[in-house]
Amino acid sequence: MKRRQFIKNVALTSASLPFVSNGFGMQALSQKLFNFSTGAEDRVLVMIRLNGGNDGLNTVIPLDQYANLMIHRPEIIIPQNQILSVTPEVGFHPQMQGMKGLFDQGKMSVVQNVGYPEQNRSHFRSMDIWTSGSLDVSETRGWLGRYFDSYNPNYPTGYPNVTYPDPFAISMGSEVTATCQGIAANFSHAVSNPNNAVNLYQGGFVNDGSYYGDHVEFVGTIIEQTNSFGQVINTAAQAGNNLSAMYDPTNTLATQLKYVAQMISGGLKTKVYVVSLGGFDTHDNQADATNLQAGTHRGLLKTVSDAIAAFQDDLQLLGLEQRVVGMTFSEFGRQIESNASLGTDHGDAAPLFLFGTCIQSGIIGPNPTIGSSLPDQAGLNMQIDFRDVYASILRDWFQVPTNEVQQLFAHQVQFYSLAGTCNVSLEEQALANGSILVYPNPTPSNVHVKVNLEEGRTMGELRDANGATVKTYFDQNFSSGLHTIFCDMEGLASGTYFLVIRNNEKTLLEKVVKMK
Amino acid sequence: MSLIPFTGPWTRSEAAHLLRRTMFGPTHQQITAITNMTMTDAVNQLLTVGSLNPPLAYDAGETVVAQGQTWVSSLYPSNAVSNQLCEMARVKSLTGWLMQNMNYQGVDISQKMFFFWHNHFGAAFSSDARATYTYLELLRTSSLGNVKQLVKDVTVDPAMLLFLNGNTNSVQHPNENYARELLELFTIGKGDQIAAGDYSNYTELDVASGAKILSGYLVQGIRSSTLTAAQTLFLNPLHDTSTKTLSYHFGNATVTNAGAQEYANYIDIIFQQPQVATFLCTELYRFFVNYDITNDVETNVIPELAQTLIANNYEILPVLQELFTSQHFYDVAFRGSIIRSPLETVFSMLNSTETQINVNLATDYNIYLNIYYAAANMGLDFMNPASVAGWEAFYLAPAFSRLWINSTTIKFRFDIATGLFIFGIPINGYTLKVDTIPFLNNLSLPASAISVIDDICELFISKPVDPSTHADLVNILTNNLPTFEWTLQYNEYLNNPNNPTFVDPVRYRVQLVLDRVFKMPQYQMI
Repeated sequence: MKRRQFIKNVALTSASLPFVSNGFGMQALSQKLFNFSTGAEDRVLVMIRLNGGNDGLNTVIPLDQYANLMIHRPEIIIPQNQILSVTPEVGFHPQMQGMKGLFDQGKMSVVQNVGYPEQNRSHFRSMDIWTSGSLDVSETRGWLGRYFDSYNPNYPTGYPNVTYPDPFAISMGSEVTATCQGIAANFSHAVSNPNNAVNLYQGGFVNDGSYYGDHVEFVGTIIEQTNSFGQVINTAAQAGNNLSAMYDPTNTLATQLKYVAQMISGGLKTKVYVVSLGGFDTHDNQADATNLQAGTHRGLLKTVSDAIAAFQDDLQLLGLEQRVVGMTFSEFGRQIESNASLGTDHGDAAPLFLFGTCIQSGIIGPNPTIGSSLPDQAGLNMQIDFRDVYASILRDWFQVPTNEVQQLFAHQVQFYSLAGTCNVSLEEQALANGSILVYPNPTPSNVHVKVNLEEGRTMGELRDANGATVKTYFDQNFSSGLHTIFCDMEGLASGTYFLVIRNNEKTLLEKVVKMK
Repeated sequence: MSLIPFTGPWTRSEAAHLLRRTMFGPTHQQITAITNMTMTDAVNQLLTVGSLNPPLAYDAGETVVAQGQTWVSSLYPSNAVSNQLCEMARVKSLTGWLMQNMNYQGVDISQKMFFFWHNHFGAAFSSDARATYTYLELLRTSSLGNVKQLVKDVTVDPAMLLFLNGNTNSVQHPNENYARELLELFTIGKGDQIAAGDYSNYTELDVASGAKILSGYLVQGIRSSTLTAAQTLFLNPLHDTSTKTLSYHFGNATVTNAGAQEYANYIDIIFQQPQVATFLCTELYRFFVNYDITNDVETNVIPELAQTLIANNYEILPVLQELFTSQHFYDVAFRGSIIRSPLETVFSMLNSTETQINVNLATDYNIYLNIYYAAANMGLDFMNPASVAGWEAFYLAPAFSRLWINSTTIKFRFDIATGLFIFGIPINGYTLKVDTIPFLNNLSLPASAISVIDDICELFISKPVDPSTHADLVNILTNNLPTFEWTLQYNEYLNNPNNPTFVDPVRYRVQLVLDRVFKMPQYQMI
């Protein structure tokens, strides 16, 4: 609510096309985009499940560890000259052009070395852990199921209703998602194609209190919900559309995401969408260092990368970018050493991706350290607990109060700033009065600067603690209004810097801390 | 309540429950037949495995054997393109054949137990249809045999070696895939993680040692133009000859080099742990009785079954005998406690209405392929299990078999009923639609509307339906006329059995009733 008020009070002029000067990407926020940044009630989380355990080390490659990776996985390693570097220390798999593009635009981040203590290397148990957000084997609910339960304790009795006409979550395909399992029912609704109308026969039924009676009631409820949710989903699909030309119809993940964009644009109020792609259990024929065209992993990563890039493009064209963030997850990473089958066995921690305009972009967390010799079966050590990623998204994105977030998890939650860059804050309100906002701060790599400018000549530069200019970002005319500008801080030593923006006669200054 | 033998009266109700759980849709007459036996005789008849004719060539891609002949021991074409086309033809033949077997079942449990083991081992198609066939036949013919021997046979089966990378597991480069699933899913099962790498019943050390023990295998002859079967080879230079140590869960046992026999020694050690029996009997219980392992079941039922399994050196037949003759199995509390899998959904519609496919070779196979895809749309792609753990509906708490039902799959369940009973499904110029006349004629009293609905409910619904639902079904049958009108109509049909004017309305009313039954929540359970 605060946000809308704020928007009305700021006079904005459109300068909507992103442009690049001096190699630094800059993006001015148009009025249209800004109008879409509404409160948490309209926000959507899209989760992409990579089933089977994705090999993080061939996805996000720690370039500074390359020599030792070469010792342990020479048969499957990506040749160094093929890697797409996104920072001096980190590279993406060559098939991930689309995701690199998003990264460069500040719409993608990599959270490194995500896992949990005492990694379980069973697909099934580990996926249960990831979907439940709990290490406790007796926890049968999903992490989002617990969140929805806390506000809807009687679900599914009485749902859908006037307040909640739409499904809480949609799982694309023919399975509901375990992340949304609640006490009494699953909060997700399986949709294979939202364009199909549904009108199933609804019979009467009685629950006699037995196992059978409970099942009868369950199936009867599913039939009723299929009809009522089917109708609202179909209505939204009719009202919605897609604008991106980047969707490849043969890309199964892109097709799922295309439907998601269509439903969001059609006004469906569903908060969570889960899509999935299988095939990541690459025990064999994953890749071949001597033949880049071989192996299954490249196709999988291309599928993921192309699909996310198309989806984000669509969201931008639909004016929905500020309402959607996405994340990937997989049950574990794989072992550092490759096996004899040109594959890798089950391992431990791995990177996950966040995408969207409201995420904290960049590389979050340091590269893993790969020793020259390893114990048998070594995986990557966990540094960021996946449950803290979930918790931070609940706080940053759905704006759940931190004490409530803590109640959803058994461990002591540590919050990270992951998806809060579109949130209204006191600082940001001050922007209207000529302050600047720099985030993330402290930063491991780059920053975004949000500033409200007058029309006219504007210069931007970075100075060190002694006042010496270390980077010059721009010197040109800007339109009046709010602008978001990407400023590169790569290659600078850790320490305190000052970002200086001179707008006509006014000088704005903000301290930035670079921290590796 | 432990596993005391069932002593109550053996009635149609118990017989129908037994057959619904152990077959893919019994007929009215099959229920009658086993009701007329003693329970012991009925269970003994059920616990048999027959022999089957192999799958036949029918598709143009098969260029090695003639249509109507079997290809299961034939070479493949040497030309790469023909080889690929031939494999596709054989996969289609095999797939159709699997469905045909479920359609042409006698009163025996073998197809259900085959499904149990297929779900247990979770293997998908291998790259050679002959190897896939051999593997599936191993599961089916061993389905009532010795579990320990089955695990040994599966371990070195070419299709399984290919599926879980046993064929690339060498001393130089261990591949843990099979070694892990052998413990986690196939034998002892994974318990809680009680310490780093320790899953209550085994540890990461056992996985690593298992990979060494199982190293040294290759598969040759895949889609070969010179070998008539895929074969397992054991090569000593690829085998880890070191002495392997297992964790304290196996008494820190050591496994010394025994070459090609070492895997069997290792499996013997695994099966010395009583948890193997507990794990398998829990899975059996969930498959045949109920998902809910209550305290009573955990302390009385499972241990008793497990004890029987161990006492019989892992022969499974005595365990099934004990279970299917127990008071517990027939307890009304468990009637309808399992939601039908897609196979039980679609095959009940066919089998219980006495519908078998017999048009011509190619059409039959195409129809069975369509049935296969109908089940796949409902969430059970038979030759591509959801994972190596099988389908989640059999193991994932808390929802278990409810996972078969969601907004997408329920729609497919309804669609297949509409297709089979109302619209017909066009396949190869033939329209597959269930003729309900033979089915009707085999019921107890076809001329009585009430009796027809009674029989239909007994066949398809696990518990008596409430009076208003029963009345609705009678009204569909009679088209809302008094029930004597149905009697008149049926008798007119009997007097004019070849006149469509009298046959068609009778057939159609029964089709309408069945279509409705299959769309009731009550039908979705067994």
